[in-house]
Formats: sequence, structure tokens, C-alpha cells
Amino acid sequence: MSELVCDVAIVGAGPAGIAAATALKDAGVQNVMILEREPEAGGIPRHIHHPTFGLLVFHRPMSGPKFIARILSKCRNVQFEFNASVMEIKPEGILNIATPEGGKIVKAKHIVLATGARERPRHPRLISGLRPQGIMTTGALQKFIYGETLCPFKRPVIVGTELASFSALSTLKSGGAKAVAMIEENPRITAYRPAMCFAAIMGTPIHYNSRIVDIGGMNQVEYVRVKDKNGTRQIDCDGVIFSGGFVGETALSINSHLEHHPVSHLPLVDQNWVSSDPQISIIGNCVHPADMGDQCYMEGLEAGKHIANLIKNPRATTNQDLFHISHDSRIKMLTPSAVRIKDDDTGELTIHLHVRVPFWGKILIRQADQVLYSKTHRCLPARRITLKNVPISSHPRLNTESHFSPKIEIILGTA
Amino acid sequence: MLNQNANSRWDVIVIGAGVVGCAIVRRLCLGGAKVLLLERGADILSGASKANSAILHTGFDAPPGSVELNCIQAGYKEYLDIHKRLNLPLLQTGALVVAWDQEQLSTLDEIVEKAHQNGVDDVAQIGKSELHAREPNLAEHALGAARVPGELVIDPWSSPLAYLTQAKLEGAEYRFNAEVNGGEFDGNSWQLSTTQGHFNAKLAINCTGNQGDIVERICAEPQFKIRPRKGQFLVYDKSAANLISSIILPVPTKITKGVVLTKTIFGNLLLGPTAEEQEDRNEAPVTTEKLEELIVIGTKMLPALSAHGVTATYAGLRPATEHKDYQIHAQPEKNWIGVNGIRSTGLTAALGIATYVENLLREKFTNSLALSDTKANKTSWPKMPMLAQHETRTHQSGDGTEMICHCESVTRGEIERALESDIPARSLGGLRRRTRVMMGRCNGFYCSAKVAKITRGRLEVPLSTGETT
Repeated sequence: MSELVCDVAIVGAGPAGIAAATALKDAGVQNVMILEREPEAGGIPRHIHHPTFGLLVFHRPMSGPKFIARILSKCRNVQFEFNASVMEIKPEGILNIATPEGGKIVKAKHIVLATGARERPRHPRLISGLRPQGIMTTGALQKFIYGETLCPFKRPVIVGTELASFSALSTLKSGGAKAVAMIEENPRITAYRPAMCFAAIMGTPIHYNSRIVDIGGMNQVEYVRVKDKNGTRQIDCDGVIFSGGFVGETALSINSHLEHHPVSHLPLVDQNWVSSDPQISIIGNCVHPADMGDQCYMEGLEAGKHIANLIKNPRATTNQDLFHISHDSRIKMLTPSAVRIKDDDTGELTIHLHVRVPFWGKILIRQADQVLYSKTHRCLPARRITLKNVPISSHPRLNTESHFSPKIEIILGTA
Repeated sequence: MLNQNANSRWDVIVIGAGVVGCAIVRRLCLGGAKVLLLERGADILSGASKANSAILHTGFDAPPGSVELNCIQAGYKEYLDIHKRLNLPLLQTGALVVAWDQEQLSTLDEIVEKAHQNGVDDVAQIGKSELHAREPNLAEHALGAARVPGELVIDPWSSPLAYLTQAKLEGAEYRFNAEVNGGEFDGNSWQLSTTQGHFNAKLAINCTGNQGDIVERICAEPQFKIRPRKGQFLVYDKSAANLISSIILPVPTKITKGVVLTKTIFGNLLLGPTAEEQEDRNEAPVTTEKLEELIVIGTKMLPALSAHGVTATYAGLRPATEHKDYQIHAQPEKNWIGVNGIRSTGLTAALGIATYVENLLREKFTNSLALSDTKANKTSWPKMPMLAQHETRTHQSGDGTEMICHCESVTRGEIERALESDIPARSLGGLRRRTRVMMGRCNGFYCSAKVAKITRGRLEVPLSTGETT
């Protein structure tokens, strides 16, 4: 089996992966390779044509394809391997990949997983009904309309009201189709309120406090049934778009030696995006499904710098001192999801988290019996919540315990 | 159009292209008969056969002395004989009938005894410690098991496709979208009317699964009534497959074999089925409520399951009847055989049922049909595309084309070949079953648009309404 050797192998050529490669090259790392399973670079933003990119990185709004072109122009002397699907990650910097010519092995000093996120599709949502054609996610719709210039249906319903749901509305318009309804379980939309105006302009009603309870149709979708407090009614349509509800694309890590968080089931990453294997970093929406492309890019730059440092000083990270930050299931995920603390370390963490359910109250971070952080936050799902200046140290060791207790816990309290 | 097929070009018309129909067509073609297969769906396996648990059964728990047991065991044996020549996979898992309480534990003796009575001699009881040593992820309240080493996992879709492909190479013909809605017997031959015109043959064989009693009425009033029984399943992510190494079977009740946990040949973990009687013969919707119940049942047996994602949900209809045994009835005076009530064991039994039907023809239909000696050894053996996770897949050797479906590792070349094969896919379901495309954890997020492009103009129900406007 043929072998590819490099200093750093990055899996995924989306904003995070491109940024990591850019930072690694800028820091003087020699052989940086990006493995991308698609035939071109860019990832999800390629198919998002509204201007939700660029503000953070370039200080002006731009479409996904423009954003990708800009960030690629800064990413020089990186070896792109397209149509290369990573099948397996192994310890000691080894990847098994599939290419049109067959299987190959990649050997690297360090591996970066930047595999991104996707929306939760129909089946894992356990939605009742038949299995006709015309059921997909926003991401799939974008690939149809912007990727292949094909339209899968003319009058679908959209399930969800996240940013992605309104992206679906806009994508449908580009494809010459129109959503007949948006269906939201909660009494308000999940995205920022002004998005409601967009639905109104598009002429698509939003049904609140409503759940989809049936999908009908033998070949193509013919109807959905929607339940609210007044009962169940039928909405005729020819497609169903399940939007938002992002999940990390973690198939590689879940089937590997990497450790995962017991609540989010996402791979553990420390404050420098290093996983439980010191030779593997994980960045971007794969570990925080899903934040903005700009945020993934900025994070990729930071992670790249850190990896360049690790390659120059290979002993900088050991595996003995990684501890996951515990939390309950009201928190969907957080980064870092774990912390590496050495005995004499002190420092400050910035923690980003998403909640599953709305929460308005005190967020407390404790390490042993010491309070590290306590502040009131108003948290809504599908928003990045940032906890700044969280001090971490080995202080608990100075207490009566003779045993060092690094356990860190986030507690959602009451207001 | 109506009478273009009026001459008896065929010796036998087989109605229904489920696994049983495909196996019978193959068997009769190997016996030199000219066979036509009529199917109302757009592809083979459009009814009961598309959704099952994909287990090759030993018959250890089948009713002793039944036709079902006979066919299961003959089918099991023939599958093992021919699967390599057809490039069909086999996963050697074995099964454990697990007792979850004292009452179930006390019935394991009977299960072992019945297995021995059925000639499955290697079934033996194992204690709690051996059970947990074999299956360390099972919940603590698993008290013991009957071990059935011979239960295996196979590819439920490539197998019948292989049977029909081999038959086609031997001269069989088939018509899809041809629903049989009536027929007349003139004393010598049948003229069957379908949604695609009339077809004549000396004999007719009814293998229409959930439509069995309706189609049977074309010949005579049936001695059974089809009672469709819905089974819902959950397919867990491939990450869950290694939580078990054997098929985990429950202690059976009178109604059903109960909820099974098994690996699939494609590398997933399967949980199901439910057993829900319903009137409707055609539609098998999944329901949130029952799927959630299944998850509770599954997680009770295998607590670690809760950390793994669901890839797919589906439901099938098993053609049960009020009788315990299969309803295979020959009517030599009317040149008709009904092959009905083939419930959940049909995948295993199909090859055995085909031989059973062949024997009926050789014994009771000599006036209307003369079968030659079976030429199994001289026939051609089509090689099916290999889709099993534990075997070498196309992408590992490379076919020069890019991967289209990343969850299931399907190349463009594999899709193209399925669209051009001996029995080409003409529906999305058919394409999925032939290649695994769009069957993975992302439910088609990555590949459905590409599949829409590749299949444009080649499927009966297209994946797109056309170019964007």
C-alpha cells in the first residue's frame, strides 16, 4: 500500500482546516497536507451564498464562496489531496485513506481533524411516517441547488427556525422553489428575531409550538401532519427539510482510540485543541456544532500556531494530565471540553458552550470546592455562549487534600 | 398491446419478486423451465422482503415437523453451498437466546431440547459467567443463554438479486410495474391480466407476500387470510456494532420472536422488530412512539447503546396468517401453486421453498410441465458486488472513480455499474439496496445531490424536479 509522509496532515478543507494549514505554514512548518474527500476545497461555505461570512476575519460581510476564495489566497505552499477520504485514524500519527486509486497510508507528526458538522437528519430524529423521496437537510438542499443546479422539490416544509432554516428559505428562492411552512416546536424562533421578517417577506408562515408527527407519500412526499395544542392537521407539500440541530462529523474519532465527553459524546479537546492523543488536534465545528465559519477560521489559526510549537518542542504535551470538564445534559457541548493542567500551571481559560434548552441564570464553574467562575448568563440554544477569564490552576492541591483534584465542573444554577 | 403475449411463451409465471419469488424463478430456470416473473413494484424486494433482520436461521426454534422447518433447513444449507460462487457474504456471529429473568431462564432447557429435536445439535445452554464473558456489554440481569452457533448474518438484498440475476442468465424474464389483477385458466394455461397487459403461461405460482390471499383468489378461495404484521427497526451507527459479537435473541413468545439485537453485514447494529398487527397491506410507517420504546428495550439489554447514534429507522410488513405454518398449496388441476404466509423466516427459507416448489412440480404437475435435471453445476454464477463491511470493498482496491457516499464508502463506479447491471436499478430504493448509497448516518446529506445528478433520466421517480430556475 502506498504511503504519504508529511509533518502535519489536516483532515478537511473547510475554514478551520484551511486556517490551521495557513498558520502552520506561516510558522515555518515544512510539509503540510490537507486531505479533502470532495474534489475541491471550501467545505460547507461553498454552498452558502448569503453574506454570513467575513465579518470577523475580513471586517466585511461576504458570501461563502467569496470567503473561501479569500482564505485560500492566504494559504500557500500547502499540499491539497482531493478525493481522499480518511477511513481510519490510528495512534502515532497514522491515517488510512481511500482514493480513486485505492487505499493509502498517511504518516504525520501531527494530525488535525477538521471534519465539520452537519444537521441531524430525519432518521435520528425518530420522526413518524413513510420514507418517500424529498426528505433532506438544509445542507443537502444547498448541494442540490448551488452544487448541482438541481431542484429536489417545489413546495417543501422546513422543520426548525435556526439560522440554517432561514438559509434554507433563501436557498429555495435561488432554486425557484418556495417553502409552504416553517415548523417550530417552541413559542419563538431559534434564530435572532429579525429573521422572522425574512420569512414574512418570503410569504412562508411559521407554525409555533408545533411538531411534525407524520410524513406521507409513496414515491415523493405528499403531506406532513403537524400537531399543536389545537390538534393535528395536514399540510400538503412535496418535501421536508430538516434544518439545524447540528451534530459534529465525528465518525472518525468515535471509531478510534480517542476519548469522548460522557455527555456530549464529542471528542475531548483541551484548551489548545489537542485531543486525548497528544499527536491529534481537533478543531472547528466537529467539536462545536455549529458556530460561524469565521469563528472556525480564527480557531484554526490559533490551533495551527500551537501545533507548530508542539512540532518544534515535541515534549510540550503529555497525556497524563487531561481531565474532562463535567456538565449535565442541558449543555449541548463546550470547548475546551477538557483541560490539561500540570502541577505548576496557572492560566486563564475561555470556554465556549451551547445549551440544548433556554437557560437564564447563574453559571458556576467549580474546581474541587473552589469557585472559578460565577456569572449570570442568558443562554439560548444554537448560540455561542462565552465564559471569559476562567482561572485554572493546581490550587486545590494546596487545600487539605493531599491528593491533587483537578476535577472541573460547570453548574447551571438559578438566577 | 393487450394480446401481444397471448401465446404461451412461458412455462411458468411467478407472481411477486420478493426473496421467495426470486428463489423460485432461479430454481425453475435451473430445471430448464421458461419463466416469467411479474412484479407490481419498480424493482425486486418492493414488499415484505425489503425489510427484515437479515439473519440466516438454523431453524432451531421452528415448529418441529413443519414445512417451515423443512424449508429453513434446506435453504440454510443451500445458501452455505452457493454463497461463495455468487460472491455473497456471510458473517459468522452465532446467536445467544438470552434469558433476562428467572422465568425465561427456566425455559432455556426446552429451547435446547427443541433445537436438538429439530436437528440443530450444537445448541447448548451457557451460564451467566460464560454469557458475560462472551458479551461483556450485556446488562447485568442477563442470567444465561442458549447458544446457537449456526445463526448467521447475510446480505438481505444482494442475495435475492443474485438469485434473479442467475435466473436471468439462464433465460428468465421479468416485468416490473406489472401488477396482476386477474386471470383465467382455460384448462391448459393461465392468462393473467396485469397493469402491463396480458401474459400467458402453463402454470402460475403466487408468491405475493402481503397480497397473497388477494392474488390467491384468482385461482380459488384461499384457505388463509393474510394478517400483515408490522415490524419497526432501528439501525445504529457503525460505532455500535462491536458492542455485541453474537446475535442477541430473546426467549420467544407465541406471537413473535421478540426484539433482536444483531450486527448487520454492512457493519451496523440492528435493533427490532416490533410486532404490530395492522389492516393496511401496503404502507408501513415508522412511529416515534414505538421507536422510542425499542430504544428503551435495547438500552435495557445493552446499556452502552445510549452513547451511539441512530443511522436509520424502517418498518416492514411480514405476511403472517392465522396459521402457524407456511401456506404452500399445490392445485394441479388448476396449474397453480400458492406460496403464502412466508413470514419472518422467508430470507433463510427462500432457497428451500424453491426446492419444495420444484418437488411439488415434479410430483404433481408432470402432465403440464416437464422439468429437466437441475443443471446447477453447469450454470453461470454471477458475481455480486461485495457490500459487506468485513470483506474487501471496491474503494479499498480502487476503481479509478471518486467516492460519492462517504458514510457507506460507495464509489461513482459502483453506482454506475448498479445502473447498468443485469437487473439494473430503476428506483432509488433499488439503487440504495444494490450499492448502499444514501444508507449511512448522514441520511444522504453528502451524496444525495450527486446521486440526483448521476441518476438523472435513469430512475422512474427522479430525485429532482429539474434544473433550478
